[in-house]
Amino acid sequence: MYQPWAVKYKPKSLKEVVGNKEAIRKFVEWVKSWDGGIPKKRAAFLYGPPGVGKTVTVEALANDFRMELVEKNASDYRTEEAVKRFAGLASQYSSLFGTKRIILFDELDGLTGTADKGGVKAITDIIKTAQCPIVLIANNAFDPRFANLRNYCLLIEFKKPPATEVLKHLKAICLKEGIDAEENALKFIAQRSEGDIRSAVTDLQALAQGKKRLSYEDVAWLGFRDRQETIFTVLRMILYGKTCEGAKRAVNMADVDIDMLFEWIYENVPAHLTNPHDLARAMDALSMADVYRGRIRTTQDWSFVRYVIDFMTAGVAMARVNTKTSGWTPFRFPERIQALSKSKEERAMQLEIGRKIKRKCHISAQRASKEVLPYLRIIFKNNVEMAAGIAKWLDLTPEMIAYLAENDKKANTIIKLLE
Amino acid sequence: MSFEMWAEKYRPKTLDEMVNQKEIVERLKSFVKAKNVPHCIFAGPPGTGKTTAALCLARDLYGDAYREHIMELNASDERGIDVVRETVKTFARIRSIGEVPFKIMILDEADNMTADAQQALRRTMERYTETCRFILCANYSGKIIEPIQSRCAPFRFTYLPREEHDKYLRHIADNEGVKLLNDGLDAIYEVCGGDLRRAINTLQAAASLGKPVDAKIVYSIAGRANPADVQKMIETAMKGNFLEARKQLREMIQKYGVAGSDIIRQIHTEIFRADIPEPWKIKLADIVGEIDYRLVEGADEEVQLSALLARLVEAAYEIKGLKKV
Ligand SMILES: Nc1ncnc2c1ncn2[C@@H]1O[C@H](COP(=O)(O)OP(=O)(O)OP(=O)(O)O)[C@@H](O)[C@H]1O
Ligand SMILES: Nc1ncnc2c1ncn2[C@@H]1O[C@H](COP(=O)(O)OP(=O)(O)OP(=O)(O)O)[C@@H](O)[C@H]1O
Ligand SMILES: [Mg+2]
Ligand SMILES: [Mg+2]
Repeated sequence: MYQPWAVKYKPKSLKEVVGNKEAIRKFVEWVKSWDGGIPKKRAAFLYGPPGVGKTVTVEALANDFRMELVEKNASDYRTEEAVKRFAGLASQYSSLFGTKRIILFDELDGLTGTADKGGVKAITDIIKTAQCPIVLIANNAFDPRFANLRNYCLLIEFKKPPATEVLKHLKAICLKEGIDAEENALKFIAQRSEGDIRSAVTDLQALAQGKKRLSYEDVAWLGFRDRQETIFTVLRMILYGKTCEGAKRAVNMADVDIDMLFEWIYENVPAHLTNPHDLARAMDALSMADVYRGRIRTTQDWSFVRYVIDFMTAGVAMARVNTKTSGWTPFRFPERIQALSKSKEERAMQLEIGRKIKRKCHISAQRASKEVLPYLRIIFKNNVEMAAGIAKWLDLTPEMIAYLAENDKKANTIIKLLE
Repeated sequence: MSFEMWAEKYRPKTLDEMVNQKEIVERLKSFVKAKNVPHCIFAGPPGTGKTTAALCLARDLYGDAYREHIMELNASDERGIDVVRETVKTFARIRSIGEVPFKIMILDEADNMTADAQQALRRTMERYTETCRFILCANYSGKIIEPIQSRCAPFRFTYLPREEHDKYLRHIADNEGVKLLNDGLDAIYEVCGGDLRRAINTLQAAASLGKPVDAKIVYSIAGRANPADVQKMIETAMKGNFLEARKQLREMIQKYGVAGSDIIRQIHTEIFRADIPEPWKIKLADIVGEIDYRLVEGADEEVQLSALLARLVEAAYEIKGLKKV
């Protein structure tokens, strides 16, 4: 199994973190200030858009300073009681072995429900008396729920790094992977990521892994699909979503229409939800989404689309119970899109033959193309004389004969017999 | 062996040649005798002689030039209301010249007509009764709106009984110089039910191989015509390979144009033959039934059926777990 490059090339030291020098400087200063006694603000609140290095910065700092990092995500501290369990840890700066401790409450945005209100309050209480640095991370620090909490925190903003910084990072990765990448290609990925380094790295992997060379042509096709968010990011939000809300939000970020997004999800579910129970649940959700598509069609009432979205995003996200999220599985382009366009031609051909049958056999072209044509296929493959006779009787064109015989040589024999 | 489509070659030309459907044939003959035909609905399963009966009736009534007096319209291809407004009306209102004062409009596969078109037809049927009689052929008369049903004499066609079926196929085989073995005939009946169109097509396709027609050939033909690849697909799923099973499904639907309802019917049959613990069969039947229902409402057959495949993968996984304990 491959490792995601976002993990493989995760900065281990602050030196390696791309961009946001000012934020990092402020953060380091604050942590260092603990050596001289408890500072005025006992917590730092890092905030900013996804994938710019908030979590990574804290981890790298703990590594550089050899501190013990106690890391928690929203799912660990949803309720008041859950948070209080960490209170003991926060009451001491040093652990038993003398290493200094830092406590991180990550992804605070995940706290939404009313039950979580107690969680925010409990965190605030811990901060008031904390004996070691507490770090909070959220995308949006200015959510009203955090109003009181903010008073006790040093706010540190993480910004989107400029494309040139992202580009440097991508170049470094290509160097290590032995990929000879065109400057233009990397620039394109960097620009399109709009400062989200995680998605830039992930896209690079999706496009370049296993290749020796990466050209502009290899990446440019992504352009028309997604100006807002890459389809990969959107898929990740759905297939690896932890909350219904988050998975549903993905739809607005996708720059493809609902049907196309459905195809992407339908294609990728099996490889990303491998546990049979999860797979069955996810496919069931897609089946229900499709039922609502059918209902839209029969009622012509477009408002049912909200249920289509519910099932295809949240329904799929909630299907993940047993499948581990570790490892890296690439996303694949929906195969059916290609197949569908091909089979459109094929269906047209079948219907043309159906029309020929209809003229002779008192059956609709529709049904003839489904119910009679398969027998013709067998005859055309096995018996050229009979095939020629039928071709003449039905007045089939050479193209039709070739289609039924599925073999050019055979088709030519049949056509010769006709003359 | 003749080189045209046998189902057409052996289609009866007159009511007398029709196989079975005795009561119906008798009444149709009485219409011919009286030179009067009411509006009719011929309902029944495929390949039982509905379209044939309509054509025979016309020939018996008008003689060899019957084509001038009838119009055949297939609702599966032309299902919209415009057809009724234009084509049907134009045909219906012009009086026929000849011994019989009315024409006959054969509306084939009428159960595929939209409700709108049927509503429009309702008025046309009444206004032009003098000049035109309608024969509606359909598999399900339930899909014909009631006002039209009430204007028509209903005739219910049934599958041919076994002896009639056998006699007819043997007759064709003899005539074409094809060796039809007993087990081959059994197999045709099993595969086609009593659908004579399918039976004759199967016989012809089997004969095209140039060997005596036995059960093995028939099954292989039927398998290719309406893929019993279903069984293979189920096996693949039960082995836990969902992606491969979905690929096989896609092939059946896209390449061979097999209908989802056909596939699910076969899955249902196969489940009771499968080598799984008895209680599981009924559990799976429930799942199949649910998806069958969703197929009707859903927009995409492959999506629905692959959801079913995922459930099969899951079931096999659970059954295996049970065996281990
Ligand atoms: N500034 C950066 N320098 C180098 N790599 C980065 C940087 N930011 C993000 N990455 C890459 O993206 C991955 C995710 O970064 P991180 O977890 O810090 O994101 P985040 O800012 O916490 O985002 P979120 O708000 O979604 O949690 C890292 O593992 C790393 O590979
Ligand atoms: N009662 C019958 N007697 C003789 N041949 C028959 C009879 N029924 C069906 N056949 C044979 O089957 C072929 C198809 O029959 P026909 O077109 O009448 O079917 P149908 O009842 O109209 O079916 P569908 O519902 O599919 O339209 C005919 O060409 C004929 O060869
Ligand atoms: Mg983070
Ligand atoms: Mg018919």
